[in-house]
Amino acid sequence: MLSVLICDDSLVARKQVAKCLPQDWEVNVHFAKHGEEALQALCEGKGQVLLLDLNMPVMDGYQTLEAIQKQQLLTKTIVISGDIQPEAKARVLGLGASDFIQKPVNAEELTKVLQKHNVLELAEELAPEPEELPEIVRDCYQEVTNVAMGQAGDHLARLMGVFVKLPVPNVNLIEVSELHMMLSDVDSNEQTSAVCQGFLGDGVSGEALCVLSDSSFGDVAKILNITEDVDDELQLEMLMDVASILIGTCLSGIAKQLDMNFRQGHPVVLGQHQSVQELIQANKGTWRKTLAIELSYGLEGYHVQCDLVILFTEDSMDTLNSKLSHLMED
Amino acid sequence: MSNNALDEILEFHWMMDMLQTVDVGIVVFDRDYNLKVWNGFMEAHSGLLPSDVRDKSLFSLFPDIKEDWFRKKTKPVFELRTRAFITWEQRPYLFKFRNYRPITGTEPFMYQNVAFSALVSATGTVDNVCMMVYDMSDAATAKKQLLALQVEQSEKNEKA
Repeated sequence: MLSVLICDDSLVARKQVAKCLPQDWEVNVHFAKHGEEALQALCEGKGQVLLLDLNMPVMDGYQTLEAIQKQQLLTKTIVISGDIQPEAKARVLGLGASDFIQKPVNAEELTKVLQKHNVLELAEELAPEPEELPEIVRDCYQEVTNVAMGQAGDHLARLMGVFVKLPVPNVNLIEVSELHMMLSDVDSNEQTSAVCQGFLGDGVSGEALCVLSDSSFGDVAKILNITEDVDDELQLEMLMDVASILIGTCLSGIAKQLDMNFRQGHPVVLGQHQSVQELIQANKGTWRKTLAIELSYGLEGYHVQCDLVILFTEDSMDTLNSKLSHLMED
Repeated sequence: MSNNALDEILEFHWMMDMLQTVDVGIVVFDRDYNLKVWNGFMEAHSGLLPSDVRDKSLFSLFPDIKEDWFRKKTKPVFELRTRAFITWEQRPYLFKFRNYRPITGTEPFMYQNVAFSALVSATGTVDNVCMMVYDMSDAATAKKQLLALQVEQSEKNEKA
């Protein structure tokens, strides 16, 4: 849920601002008595929207705005102040505030300003954020992936005769937009190639994405004992082979621990025959967030950089969590 | 013979029939690449009977398949039990078969996707690998036509 931080040294003013917030707006409201308290709350993520007074003890509104800019805190600030000099308004806007409301504030005006800056819609965009993975769940996925990686690394090392630097898996819930950014990076960046492969089984489905930097191809060829010239077509084939091995070992490791079985679809090279942008655009409506496990591999003694991202769909989470529940019990 | 055992044999029979008639090529080979299973799809398209290929080496039957490359490709399947894939975009075909529709089809040969998967034996080891060959000619033709249209369109746009 979106959180709103109201910062004013006067209790009456804080209460009044809180009362003026739109009735049907579902938000968490937090309070701060001065700038320092406000900054601390912002750092704790309590305040995607900040309603800020200017004249306060300890740290005033101007200083607070400066600090927000300096620390690059992500918040939308609306100044609510009794100081109605034009200069005051100009200064706060210059310091990054979105708008300026004169005290005493009324509900109608506040709503109008919030609407004007699309703050009310923020609630929807930001809504999934507090749904972050609970620590224990994240830990669980991380551990499962770790074990899977250990097995996969062992297999790889034996198959290729190299030492695999085992990555620490990064487990997160990510938004469509983040995935979009990641994939368009692959799309625009000619230095990388990517393969994606769908998998599903027992009510869990998802996609694995393997991104290999092009500079790795030379060394991958060495490892795979390919003596021919590495042309475009061979690069693709190598990418496909590396992706199959990484995705296959990792998925089967995870599936084994969950006592499941994943079926893998045929892999597809991204960006080469499809525009990545279009691909994701087409799917935009169907999901909002997804569980992502990111792994970044390196091979000792070689310049091989390979990222593996395993994405589970939103509706797979329930099944996954229940499969993992035995691990979460004490 | 009890009824139960008879039922099982009957069931086995129609299951084999299914493998035989499914419109996907199914081939099983062992660690020495000797063929163990060659289903109806493969038989029909290659013109080789199961009895012709049984226990013969894949490479001797199809000299066009490069042995080094194929061994490399399938090694992880035997060793890691992961799947391996060949897509028509990289290699139009593994087996040079004629187009399924020799009259109305536009391509002279069959585009293929190939997937390899490990078969775990009763003792828990991987002694055989199953290779599945899919006919991708229609998808390939459609994609190529689409690409050609796109090129044509962009050329038109440049002229205009």
